[in-house]
Amino acid sequence: MTDETVGVIGAGSWGTTLAKVLGENGRRTLLWSRRSELCQEINATRRNEVYLPGIDLPTTVEATHDLERVSASAQLLLLVVPSHGLRQIAYELGDHVSGEHVIVHATKGIEQESFKRMSEVLREETCVRKIGVLSGPNLARELALGQPTGTLIASRYDEVFRRCHATLHNGYFRVYWGEDVVGAEVGGAFKNIVSLASGIATGLGFGDNTRALLVTRGISEMARLGMTMGANILTFAGMAGIGDVVATCFSSLSRNHQVGLRLARGESLAEIQGGMNMVAEGVKTSKAVHSFALRKGIELPIVRAVHRVLYEGQDVQSAVRELMATPTGAEFLVSLPS
Amino acid sequence: MRPEHRDRAKIDAARRVTERYFEDAAARGDDYLEGVLNDTLYHEQRRLERENPSDAKTRAELAFYQGIRRELLQLQGSDLRSLLDRVTRRFSDEIVGNFDERVYQLTTTVVPAGLSVLLSAASPRQLLSGSLRQRLGEHLQIQGAVDQVRKLLEKGTLIVVPTHSSHLDSIVLGYAVYLMGMPPLLYGAGLNLFTNPLTSFFMHNLGAYRVDRKKSAALYKDVLKEYASVSLELGYSNLFFPGGTRSRSGAVEQKLKKGLLGTGLEAYVNNLRAKRENPNLYVVPCTISYKLVLEAETLIDDYLKEIGKSRYIIEDDEFSKPRKVLKFLSNIMSLDSRIVITFSAPLDIVGNRVDGEGRSLDARGRAVDPFSYVARGGEPVHDEQRDNQYTNELSEAIVAAFRRDNVVMSTHVVGHASMALLKQKNPELDLYRLLRTGGELPSLEISELAEQVDRVIAALRDNPSGPRLGRELDQGDARMIIDDALRYFGTYHTQPAAIRRGSRFVHQHRNLLLYYGNRLNAYDLGRRLGGAYVQAA
Repeated sequence: MTDETVGVIGAGSWGTTLAKVLGENGRRTLLWSRRSELCQEINATRRNEVYLPGIDLPTTVEATHDLERVSASAQLLLLVVPSHGLRQIAYELGDHVSGEHVIVHATKGIEQESFKRMSEVLREETCVRKIGVLSGPNLARELALGQPTGTLIASRYDEVFRRCHATLHNGYFRVYWGEDVVGAEVGGAFKNIVSLASGIATGLGFGDNTRALLVTRGISEMARLGMTMGANILTFAGMAGIGDVVATCFSSLSRNHQVGLRLARGESLAEIQGGMNMVAEGVKTSKAVHSFALRKGIELPIVRAVHRVLYEGQDVQSAVRELMATPTGAEFLVSLPS
Repeated sequence: MRPEHRDRAKIDAARRVTERYFEDAAARGDDYLEGVLNDTLYHEQRRLERENPSDAKTRAELAFYQGIRRELLQLQGSDLRSLLDRVTRRFSDEIVGNFDERVYQLTTTVVPAGLSVLLSAASPRQLLSGSLRQRLGEHLQIQGAVDQVRKLLEKGTLIVVPTHSSHLDSIVLGYAVYLMGMPPLLYGAGLNLFTNPLTSFFMHNLGAYRVDRKKSAALYKDVLKEYASVSLELGYSNLFFPGGTRSRSGAVEQKLKKGLLGTGLEAYVNNLRAKRENPNLYVVPCTISYKLVLEAETLIDDYLKEIGKSRYIIEDDEFSKPRKVLKFLSNIMSLDSRIVITFSAPLDIVGNRVDGEGRSLDARGRAVDPFSYVARGGEPVHDEQRDNQYTNELSEAIVAAFRRDNVVMSTHVVGHASMALLKQKNPELDLYRLLRTGGELPSLEISELAEQVDRVIAALRDNPSGPRLGRELDQGDARMIIDDALRYFGTYHTQPAAIRRGSRFVHQHRNLLLYYGNRLNAYDLGRRLGGAYVQAA
């Protein structure tokens, strides 16, 4: 298993970055994109200029648009596609995979209408059982430049972690393991909302105190939501919780942060999205989470505020005023398991 | 089980367990084996202290373990192995028992007829009448994936996993399997079923082996599981109750015991390794639904007493009283009762659906090779952590099948609806006080109860993931359903759960109402019905 080929499905900035890490670790890596001209460009120039400009890819990485070939060559598949596209690709993949495959997704989102987590979608669309999620403070560009960071692989199956660790872990990328798939997925999806809110705060000229308040109360909301879905609260204190939230809330590289920033400057959502070639997951996730919380009666003030700004036409100033006017109480509504 | 297979299974099970312990000892040292032996001695000693010391069997067991203890103090190294081997073989001998083949052959032919008598409470003369089978058919309704289950027997070995509410379950299911023209299912039955005069007779025909629930040593449980695995590998279809024991609360099982369930996967891998012709194992979830449960009173009392504590083993319940069993059976038969057995769509060892040809299918209906789940580099391998997770996934699929194919009957709906109303009218009472006192009013207006019954049925109909509704719920209006439930509540139990007085529903034995209502616990009625809802714990 030590020299196994790895398939990376999705050649956006994060997929390309993971392929680069794998390739640098000496793994033969097949990077799949639906667009054959992008594959040709990557193979010819060893770069993905659209999604990861200026970064050279090792020769061990080969781009392909042949999904069947990827799943025939690689048993370990990293699925790195936007949440709205995951079901379709998983369905196509379902034609080619067997029970021997391992699928780890790195998608930080929740399916819109069904509120299903990505691992649930994978379970519905493929026969694969050995499913995992990769999540952590992972801004693609920083990792692509070889700056040290870490990530979490969460899976019920030890084997999933072992294989990811053997292929991904290296001197600048630390790979940790957890069993809490639900927590990792909720954390990864939810942090995009917090990041968006943090972008708004930055855009309004607020400083570090404000962002820290948002981050802390954001994690509290994340945990409240996660626990109703069966997550372990400790996951939110780890890589896929606080780790990821801090990275995205304090970074100007984060797409969600960018969206928040521009909203605060008075641009409309339509204007912002029109000019982006990448997906800001927080925009959709806040809608899905908001309606789920309403259905289940979970109190999530930050999510509500973001939702009002994005979808109910509320201006950011009054959203902040409203948020600051919500009553306070005990800091922790949940107690740690004894 | 054929005698030569029985002996082989007995020997193989013991051998595999000791070999596994020897392997572990090779890695961890001989202290490990000593620890296993001491643990077994400790648990057996404690168990025997509670037995009657003048009983011959108890004396013999005490002597055996005293001998082991004496030798253990003096021995080490390879001798430890022979001690472990002796204890293991003793366990496997007990489990398999010493069946008399002549008795076995006799029971194979006579028992189905005997069971007919029991189930129909008919006179032996009626046995000779050709219409008996038809009459029995009126009481026992077998539905669901019947043809597919029968067909799968040709493709592999079955593990039938039913819901469990009564000791009658194994007999009723055994009879259903007989009616379906299938060979008996091998089944690990509690010792009480062997000592009960009514059932010891049937146990052999069911291919039962003995399970002593009081034996808590890990070594004993290992031998039990291994025996099940070996029998599956020999091609004997098994019956496992995946909930472990009878549901105390009355609810459909939502958490399963994984130990025995996991033996299916073990047997499958062993079959592949041995290159057996039909290596596949099929798991068949199945619900057994009764309007009245024989042991309801004892079970719910035990549940209420023991919530939050470890439960005890009920030995002296309704089932141990033959007269009570006969009363139960003849009463429900005279009401033209039905016991409904529903076979769910069969599953493979990781919880995928299986088609009529025995092929595994993914959720989109595409064929999957089950071998791929256990393969590594083209070879089938065991992997404890992976296999435990597969068993968890299988268990989730079984629980979903139970929820979907549970057949809800009048007693369940009326139990649920009446308790919900009582709770609503007495918000200040906790469950225990409510059960004891019944709250302010000794009765409910039937028209009000009928409205609640309609709400419950509408909510159940609305639920995409089950359950099935019994015949009387599909056909009757709420008042007819209440009447039907009252007829049943009035029969059999020591005190009727409820009776009718004019236009009032008089709740008498609320524990029973709770018990029957709990059958609907899996359907999220709390959210669907708002406040009008109650369930224990």
